[in-house]
Amino acid sequence: MSRKFPKVIIYAVLIIGALVTLFPIVFLLINSMKSQTEIVKTPLALPKGLNLQYIAAAIEKIDLVPSFLVTLLITVVGVLLIVVISSAVAWMMVRYKGKASTVLLLCFTASMLIPFQALMYPLISEFDKMGLKNVPGLIIMYAGFGLSMSVFLYHGFIKSIPKSLEEAAIVDGANVFQVYTRVIMPLLKPTTATVAILNGMWLWNDFMLPFLVIGNKPLKTLTLSVYFAKAENGQYGNAWDLVFPAVLVSIVPIIVIFLILQKQIMKGVTAGAVKE
Amino acid sequence: MNKFYKKWFFPFVIPAIVLFGIVVLVPFIIGVINSFSAWRGVYYKGGSNAFEAWVGLKNYVNAIQDEDFQHALGYTIVFTIVAVIAVNIVALAQALLINSIGHAIGLFRATFFLPNLLGGLAMGYIWLFIYENIFSKLLFGPDGLIPIDLLCNMTQDRWKNIIAMLIITVWQQSGYMMLIYTTGLANISRDYYEAAQIDGANAVQRFFYVTVPMLMPSFTIVFFMTLSGCFKMLDPNVALTNGEFDTRMLALQVMRVPADTSNNYGLAQAEAVLFFLMVAAVSVTQVVLTKRKEIEA
Repeated sequence: MSRKFPKVIIYAVLIIGALVTLFPIVFLLINSMKSQTEIVKTPLALPKGLNLQYIAAAIEKIDLVPSFLVTLLITVVGVLLIVVISSAVAWMMVRYKGKASTVLLLCFTASMLIPFQALMYPLISEFDKMGLKNVPGLIIMYAGFGLSMSVFLYHGFIKSIPKSLEEAAIVDGANVFQVYTRVIMPLLKPTTATVAILNGMWLWNDFMLPFLVIGNKPLKTLTLSVYFAKAENGQYGNAWDLVFPAVLVSIVPIIVIFLILQKQIMKGVTAGAVKE
Repeated sequence: MNKFYKKWFFPFVIPAIVLFGIVVLVPFIIGVINSFSAWRGVYYKGGSNAFEAWVGLKNYVNAIQDEDFQHALGYTIVFTIVAVIAVNIVALAQALLINSIGHAIGLFRATFFLPNLLGGLAMGYIWLFIYENIFSKLLFGPDGLIPIDLLCNMTQDRWKNIIAMLIITVWQQSGYMMLIYTTGLANISRDYYEAAQIDGANAVQRFFYVTVPMLMPSFTIVFFMTLSGCFKMLDPNVALTNGEFDTRMLALQVMRVPADTSNNYGLAQAEAVLFFLMVAAVSVTQVVLTKRKEIEA
């Protein structure tokens, strides 16, 4: 290929592609530092300086600090629950060769076919009756709905781990929790990374489930804050000076984490896809 | 040793079973049952439970005859076909181009992958602004750089909005799919290329007779991931038009039925079950095809 296509052309194509890819993100950053009028009149102009006043104003006006914290809480607790519960069940499903294991694997695998829409109305109505149409309820829903894929990933990985390490620990007198925390979990690290990344991204960015469960209550997730900033201030044109900063606040943590852990993240998501 | 696992099996699986039961299994079963009843969300019309308010297949007949549902289905199918092709071509091109250079490989991969991590709704609004103000005015508007009507006011037209959603989808998904193709390309032994070269195959022939066949497993993964992802897509749809201008995809349509029909949740649930059957058909096809491939390999 390289003889027909000079490398310079390939580099040029890739650089243009990369610039186009980054454009919306840079565009978002630039316009988060401008007033509503500046955004609409001169969207491509650079801001007059490192001006954080519009971001600060938006953070105050639509309560982005509580939103940020609640989104963080939902993501961290949700992912933690998914990791602990799905690794525990997958471990036992691999090691205990009974009918129950086969049936469970079948249930989890089959349920990966179910799109969220197919059960959201009964789910919300059931949780409403239990008094769980709130943030704790939302976390439980995520933990339950994220289970299938995670169990599937853990199950595939644990199958490839020899039993002998656990058995040695048990013979040495370790109890089941010590085996789980000191032998199993360390071995599962690569899969845990994949499970945490895939579910973390989903929980942080999700719109539909918080929309149905929380809606326009004061304490909402960042994605909901963005949605309502756009929807509610839209009577006389969109309040872009709120929408841009809100979007920025919701994506900055992801970009920072990605910059630090890009190799692991890219490896993790690819492993997840190839195993599925 | 088996005794040990037998003893601890239930304590370790109970939390998963309980969660799975209350969040997935029970709501799914209730959902299927309710799709045959006159469910109104908080009550059942004509009875105190789904069985007393049983209406048989009426909701399904209504769903299939519902014009909004038909439009959403057609719109979803058209979008999915176009998007799967576009994402695949761009992703493969990215993978091949990046593979053929020597420097900054990691940087390009990370750049193309990054949008995949960002929220579809939040970034959808940024794209909406770009379409409305940059595309429709500065770039492709009547007084713009290159006037192209097709790229102006894309979010106010049923068919132009496909292009608008397509751009976001390619932007978000191609980098991820590029990573999968890259893994696939790395697994092709150099020997095949050398052998082909000795036999006199040119670059184009090497691509079609070595690269393409050897990439088939990656292609299957990418094809079905994009297929089910696009078919179930919601966030960009909400961000760009929120379903206005006859642009609802199936996921949004199911969400809007109760508001459209003064809380006919039975109908909404029937449309949701039909949606599930379509998604399941796609996924089962994938599993069958992948299994067959594995046997051949």
